Amino acid sequence: MLRSGGLLGVGVALLIFAFGCGGGSGEADRLTIAVPQDVGPLNIFAQHEEPLTELVYDKLLAPSPYVEEPRPWLAESVERIDPETWEVTVRDGITWHDGEPFAAGDVKFTFEYFLEAPTGRWTHHISEVPHVEEVEIVDENTLRLSCAYPCPELGPVTLADLPILPQHIWEDVPGDRAATYNELPVGTGPYRLVEYSAERGYRFEANEDYFAGRPLVDELVMPIIEDTAATFTALRSGELDAAARNVPPELVPEFESSRAIALAETAPLQFDEIRINYEREPFDIPEFRQAFSLAVDRRELLDTVLLGQGRPGTQGYPHPDSPWTSPDNRQPYDPERARQILDGLGFVDRDGDGVRETPDGNPLEFTIKVAGTEPSQVRAAELVVKQLGEAGISMTVQTLDPGAMGELFTSRDFDTSLGTITAHGVADPTQFIMSHRSGYLWNLPEVPYPEMEALIEEWMQATTVEERTRISFEMQELFNSQPTSIVLYYPEERWAYRPDAHDGWVESPGYGIVHKWSFLPEEVGNEANAITERF
Amino acid sequence: MPPGRLGNRIGQYVLVLWVALTLNFLLTRVAPGDPINYLLGDEVNALTPEQREQVLSQYGLDEPLLVQYGMYWVNVARFELGTSVRFGQPVADVLIDRLPWTLLLVGCATVLSTFIGITAGTIAAWKRGSARDTGLMVGILSLEAMPGFWIGMILISVFSVTLGLFPTYGAVSLVSLDGLAHVWDVARHLVLPVIAITLATSGSVFLLSRASMLTTLGEDYTTMAEAKGVSERGVVFRHALRNALLPVYTNFTLSLGTLVSGAVVIETVFAYPGLGRLIYEGVLARDYPLLQGAFLLVTVGVISANLLADLTYPLLDPRVRRPGANR
Repeated sequence: MLRSGGLLGVGVALLIFAFGCGGGSGEADRLTIAVPQDVGPLNIFAQHEEPLTELVYDKLLAPSPYVEEPRPWLAESVERIDPETWEVTVRDGITWHDGEPFAAGDVKFTFEYFLEAPTGRWTHHISEVPHVEEVEIVDENTLRLSCAYPCPELGPVTLADLPILPQHIWEDVPGDRAATYNELPVGTGPYRLVEYSAERGYRFEANEDYFAGRPLVDELVMPIIEDTAATFTALRSGELDAAARNVPPELVPEFESSRAIALAETAPLQFDEIRINYEREPFDIPEFRQAFSLAVDRRELLDTVLLGQGRPGTQGYPHPDSPWTSPDNRQPYDPERARQILDGLGFVDRDGDGVRETPDGNPLEFTIKVAGTEPSQVRAAELVVKQLGEAGISMTVQTLDPGAMGELFTSRDFDTSLGTITAHGVADPTQFIMSHRSGYLWNLPEVPYPEMEALIEEWMQATTVEERTRISFEMQELFNSQPTSIVLYYPEERWAYRPDAHDGWVESPGYGIVHKWSFLPEEVGNEANAITERF
Repeated sequence: MPPGRLGNRIGQYVLVLWVALTLNFLLTRVAPGDPINYLLGDEVNALTPEQREQVLSQYGLDEPLLVQYGMYWVNVARFELGTSVRFGQPVADVLIDRLPWTLLLVGCATVLSTFIGITAGTIAAWKRGSARDTGLMVGILSLEAMPGFWIGMILISVFSVTLGLFPTYGAVSLVSLDGLAHVWDVARHLVLPVIAITLATSGSVFLLSRASMLTTLGEDYTTMAEAKGVSERGVVFRHALRNALLPVYTNFTLSLGTLVSGAVVIETVFAYPGLGRLIYEGVLARDYPLLQGAFLLVTVGVISANLLADLTYPLLDPRVRRPGANR
C-alpha cells in the first residue's frame, strides 16, 4: 500500500486529541482539512487537483498564469532571447524531497516527458499553443527553449503552469505507464505527501528545507469527505479545521453568526455557461447566436440561482478578472433587440403558437442539457427556458448524469448545454486560442469563420505579449458579439474555517484559499505575487 | 445432495455466471459517456481531436467491441481486473482496499438487523393483536420507512455534534493507531453507521419472521405440542420458531450476497470508505475497469450466496433432503 512513515504506537491521548475540540493555538502544528474528492496518490497524469498537487510540486514561475506578472520561482530568471527562444536559469541549491539536487536537467526532462505521457491537461502548453520544439541544456543551471513559431507567452503562461518533475524518479516510468504510476510523489514543494489511503485520505508533512521559507503548519491532514452535509457537520463538531469546498448559500447565515467558524469570500476564476452547438442549424448563423445571447437575462439568473452571490455574466467570455481579458467585453441583455434580430432573420411566429419558425417552417425548438446532479444548474436551465420562451424560442430541459454530460463535447449530440468552466479554460490566454482549435468554441471546416481565422493567424505571427494581447482582445470582442458560449454569472465562493486553528488563509487567483500560499509566511506569497487578499 | 444433482446445479451456476459477466461487460459500454471526459473534465477542450483518439487508444477503448470482449475474458480468467481509469491503480487493489470496510459495516448491520427482526417478529406473532404487536409493527415499519441518509444525519447531529460521543465521519482516525486502541477506534467509527443501516433494514426481516411465525403457530404440530402440555415458551421457541426460521434463513443467506455491494447512502453520509460509494463514483466517472471489477465482485457474491443457500438448506430442512423431494 501507499504508506510511508506514519505515527506508530500512539495511544489514547492522540485519539482524544483527534476527536477533541479541534481548535488549537494560533500557530498550528497540525491542520485537518476535508477534501471533497479522492484524487489518488497525486499522480498528475492520472488525476489532478491543482491546489493539492502544488503543495508537492513547484513551477518555474509562480503562482499561476492567472496573474499579470508571475515571478521566478524554481527559475532564478527567465529571459526571452528572440521571438522563438527563451533562456531559463534555475535556482541553485534546491533539493527534491528525497534529497537529490534539482537541476536544469529536470526541467528538460519534464518538457519532454509531458509529450511522452498520455495527453492531458498540460500537453497543449508544449505541443500546440505554444509549440516547444526543442529544449537544450546550456549548462547545469541553464537551458534554452525553442518554439516552432513565436511564443511570447511561454514565460508568463507555460512556465507558470507546468509542474516540474524529478527526472531521477520519472525516467524509470515509461511514458505509456505514467497514468498508472502509484508511488507517492516526490517534488520540491513546501509539503511532502507521506501517506495516502482511501480510509485516511492525505497526510502531508512540512518540507523544513523549502527553499522559499519554512511552512507555517507542520502537518496537513486531509480526509476525503465527498458529501457536503457531512463535511460541514464535521467542521461544526470541531473534527475539521477547514474544508476545501465551497459553503452552500443556505449555510452561509449559520456560519456568519458562528463565533468558532469564519468565512472567507473569494471570486473564483470560473463561471457557468450555456454552450451552443454551432454545428447545428440555426446556431451556425452568427446573428441567431447574438439574438440568443441577448435574450438571456443574467441578472435574474444571478438573483434567483445564486441568491445574488456573484456578478451577472454580462462581461462575457473569458473571465473578466483574468489579466488577459479585454475590459470591453460585453454580453448584454436586450430582449427587444433580440426580437428585432430574429424578425430580421425571418424567424417569426406564423402559426400563433408563441414559437417562432424558420423561413422553412421549422419551429425554433431546442433542448438544453444539464447535469441532474447539479441542482443550481438545473434551476438556471429552467429559468433560461422561461427567458428564451419570451423571445419566441422554445427550449426543453434535459437532465443527464455527469458521465453523459461529459460526453457531449465529443459526441456533439446537443443543441445547447449548461455547465461550469474553470480557470484553465477561461483565465489562460492561450486556452482561448486552443478552444478554437480543439472545437470547444469553434473548429468547423464546413462553416467558414474568416474574421476569427484571420485574427488567429495574425495572433500566431505576433511576436510580443502586447501585440498578442491586443489581437486577443479583438478576438474576444468578435467572439462575444456572436458567442458560442453564453456566460450566465461569475459566482462568489465562501470557504469556512476555524480561525483559532490557523489564521494565515489567503486568496490566490483561481485557487480559493486552500493552497500552498495559505501555509507559507505572507512575505513568501507576496514575493510570488500570489496573494490577492488576506483573511 | 447426489453427485449428479450437484453437478447439474453447479452447471446452472456457471451458466448464470457467464450471462452475468457478459452483461457486466456490455452494460458499462452501452451507457452513454466515456472516461476521457471524466479524466479531463472541462480540460477536454485542451485536446485536439487527434489527441483525444490517442487517449482512448491508451485505454484500449478504440478497439472493436468483440476484441474488447475477448480481452475481458482473458483478463477475468487471470484475475487481472485492469487499471482503474480514475485512480490509476490496479482495480483489484482499489477493491481490496475498500472490501474489508464494507464487509465490516454491512456484515455487522446484517447480523444485527436479522437478530432484531427475528426477535421482534417472534414476539409480535406470539402476542398477535396485542398492544405489543401493534407497537412493534408501527415502530419498526416507521423506522424502515425513514430514508437511511436522514436517520444517519439525525444520529450524527445528536450523538456526534451535540453529545460528542462518536466521530462524524470516516472509518478510522486520521492518525495510525496500534492494537487495542485501533480496535476501539474502528468500533467507535462503526457504531452510528451500523445503527443507521440496522434501523433502516430490520423491517423486512421483522415482517418475514412475523408472517412465518404466524403460519407455524397455526400448524397442527403446534396445536399438538400445546395439547401435549408443552410450556408456552417451549411451543414458541422449540416448535414454532425453528420451523419459522427456514424462510428467514434463506433471506439471510441471500442478503449475504449483497454484503459486498455496500450501502451507498450510509457510506456517503458517514464518509465511510466502502464499496457502495466507490461503485457510485465509478458510475459517474465511467470508470469501466473499476465498474467491471466491482460488478464482478457483486455477481460472484450474489451467486455464491445463492449456492450457499442451495447447499445448506437441505441440512436445515429434512423434507428437501428426502429422495424424491426434488421439486
